[in-house]
Amino acid sequence: MTLWAHEMRLLLRQRLTVAALSLLGLLTIAALTSGMAEIARQRAAISAIPAAQAEDIGAIAAWIDIAKDPGSAAYYSFHPTWNGPSTLAFAAIGMRDVSPYILRVRALGLEAQIYDGDTYNPELALPGRFDFAFVLVFLAPLFVIALFHDLVSGEREAGRQRMLEALPCGGKALWRRRTGLRLALLWAILAVPFTVAAIVEGVGLATILITLVLTVAYLLFWTGLAALVALLRWSSVANAATLAAAWLVLVLVLPTLANVAINSVVPVDQGAEITLAQREAVNRAWDIPREDTMQRFYANYPEWADSAPLGPEFHYKWYFAFHQNGDQSVADQVCGYRVGLEQRDRLGRALGWVLPSVGVQALLTRLAETDLRAQMAYQDRIRAYHQELREFYYGYLFRDRPFGKADFARTPRFVDPSDQASSRATT
Amino acid sequence: MSATRLIARDELRLMTRNRVAVIAFVLLLLLTMVAVLSSRAHQQGIADLRARHGRAADMAFDAQPDRHPHRVVHYGHFIFRPLGPLAAFDPGVDAFTGNSMFLEGHRQNTANFGDVQQSSLLVRFGQLTPAFVLQVVVPLLLIFLGYGALARETEHGTLRLLMLQGVSQGQLVRGKLAALGIVAGFAGLPAMIGFVLIAGQPGALALPMLVIVAGYAAYLILWIVLILLVSARVGRSREALLALVALWAVTVVLLPRAAPDLANAAVPLTNRFQTDVSIARDLRAMGDSHNPDDPHFAAFKQSVLDRYGATRIEDLPVNYKGLVGIEGERMTTQLFDRYADISYAAQERQNALVDSAGILSPAIALRSMSMAAAGTDFAGHRRFLEQAEAYRYALVQRLNRLQAETVSYADDTAVDPGADRRKRIATSNWQAMPDFAFVAPTGTTLAASALPGLFVILAWLAGATLLLAYATRRLGARR
Repeated sequence: MTLWAHEMRLLLRQRLTVAALSLLGLLTIAALTSGMAEIARQRAAISAIPAAQAEDIGAIAAWIDIAKDPGSAAYYSFHPTWNGPSTLAFAAIGMRDVSPYILRVRALGLEAQIYDGDTYNPELALPGRFDFAFVLVFLAPLFVIALFHDLVSGEREAGRQRMLEALPCGGKALWRRRTGLRLALLWAILAVPFTVAAIVEGVGLATILITLVLTVAYLLFWTGLAALVALLRWSSVANAATLAAAWLVLVLVLPTLANVAINSVVPVDQGAEITLAQREAVNRAWDIPREDTMQRFYANYPEWADSAPLGPEFHYKWYFAFHQNGDQSVADQVCGYRVGLEQRDRLGRALGWVLPSVGVQALLTRLAETDLRAQMAYQDRIRAYHQELREFYYGYLFRDRPFGKADFARTPRFVDPSDQASSRATT
Repeated sequence: MSATRLIARDELRLMTRNRVAVIAFVLLLLLTMVAVLSSRAHQQGIADLRARHGRAADMAFDAQPDRHPHRVVHYGHFIFRPLGPLAAFDPGVDAFTGNSMFLEGHRQNTANFGDVQQSSLLVRFGQLTPAFVLQVVVPLLLIFLGYGALARETEHGTLRLLMLQGVSQGQLVRGKLAALGIVAGFAGLPAMIGFVLIAGQPGALALPMLVIVAGYAAYLILWIVLILLVSARVGRSREALLALVALWAVTVVLLPRAAPDLANAAVPLTNRFQTDVSIARDLRAMGDSHNPDDPHFAAFKQSVLDRYGATRIEDLPVNYKGLVGIEGERMTTQLFDRYADISYAAQERQNALVDSAGILSPAIALRSMSMAAAGTDFAGHRRFLEQAEAYRYALVQRLNRLQAETVSYADDTAVDPGADRRKRIATSNWQAMPDFAFVAPTGTTLAASALPGLFVILAWLAGATLLLAYATRRLGARR
């Protein structure tokens, strides 16, 4: 034990080491704070939904209540959906800064609504977020390099290596001790602030543990790489240059190269084509016999087929029927688009098995539910809610039931799975 | 042969003997070439795709059958943002902004389908473009090749020998500068070849390209000066290397990420949901078209009746419904513009905050200069959004006017079986509508918007050169 304490004293006597460790600590705390602030902003935006929505829908309900027309009610009311951040989201913002986490939908064609984005500044999104994942994936390896590049070569250059190896408890045990100590310090500086932040945010114990193990594994990879380079018995300078070059290649160059490769191997039909096709299908309804539209709709929704036939005047049930037909006409394209995106995502993750930087980023964003898969899951929830909403209005439209103020209160509400999770965490 | 040239030649010879350095340099050349080619292919692919989609959307619009003008207001139009040739060098925010936009009446839609939503997580690691290579990778290579240039001479005692042989400190530093400058020139060469390829394309503008060349040259020279400065001041190679890598990591990797996060926290943006609710609220306050007794629309109706000297809207020579459409669109668009301006102003404030961090990081200054000159920055995107909105408004109002002038009020309100046919106007009307044509900014505009960034880099260069001059004079002095 005294040997460890002694090593600790030696290590902390080096200005470079102390400076590096304090800097890493500061950066970790700054990144955690920044991530927590961003997620707090997102939570605040989500909790501001009900008040604004109540005001908006209240004004619509007031004038709808006069004529009680269910079609106008369905046409003019927008309903909010949201994708609450997971408890770990603060550590890896992932796609949450560029993908919408609040989206209002109407019972009209969903394909014209679901790809809408939120307001964000593209110049701020371009370099990526400054979050814990960034500090771990991009910056931590540089600190490993700073602490490990001269572990052995430094002693050799100082002429102490042979003496140290001849000491009792020297040699291999000494290098193990020094490696272990540096690794433990680096890990603690990342892990302690993270754990504190995670507890504050109410992250589950298992998730915290997985993240901590992931952190140590990633640090081990870079330590191992430094040890491999040390085997070459080059000078400290050459070690540092080689490791920094390896960092550049593994963290910056290869992921960007792979991105180019994946996007050309998996061409994705542009999403724009879906919305173009859906628009044609929807608007064509005005130029074809209205009965054709209704027949096509009833084929999928036989439960409304006994609704009263259309008169010569405009009826909203026809309007909503052709919007639904429009969505259905592009269902295959939607599916293909999604399969393409998922394949790109899968290939990106698969690269994580080879490139630890990508692997850690992929795992963290998965744990934090801030990746493409989480975004797709949110889209699925929007689709399910949209269906619920449509079917709710169909009950009025196809039965010509009046839609009054009280019916607004009966409208289905979107349920976000994280709502229950966060309410559990706060109680 | 002058001493300066001899020193430069010797330094270069030493670099070529360092096998790792040569391999790294060759890899860099390959990487740049891949970046140039893939980035060009990507830009051309995108430009072609958007042009094709744009033509298809224009044709679909023109091919519409006879329709009621208001149907066409909701059929709307799809437009696609064109991508200039310089985006092959620096695509800037292109992947982060939607590139297609649906334009329709009474709604302002977002630009959708940015690459960032359509790619794997790797897209957030950065994009392999010539700009990325020159901004991020080349400085690190120069650090590896140059950190020891002066520190090595000090460390090994060769500095004294050189000076005893009559080499002045100035000659020594100028020689090393020249050697590293030649390396930087070669490192930047493939990107420049890519640039020449771009210059051959139609629409490539000379002035912004000149600014880009000047900016990147100044940036790389700045790094060489910084490297020699650190190498001169820090007597030991290892410490010089670590200090330089730390400087690179902070200015090129850390600050460009941290500054936007601070800007994001300092200047909040209103999200779309809140904006939409606010617009609806303001619109209700201005005049509620759903309320038959609304004072604004009652006054509007009276003013129309007075203008035509009629007592009933049925007696008007124009279709009143079309006039209401024009008035409603005027009101909503006024609000859209007001809220868009607020949002743009907030985003510009955020960007200005990040730009001010350019004082701490020349990489930030270079990035904003490069995007501005290439027309791929936020201002470029805003240019598209504003032109799109102007086009949307003109298109919708043209259609509303058609409704007012060519569809009679009696037909428009009729519900008999033949009414649908009488409400429709001929397909030739759609063909007569002008297509959206993005007006690209002039070279002078782009170059002017890049000047502040260029100025920051030049200021950095001037400061670093002064420090190097000072360090040069003290080189070899006992400490």
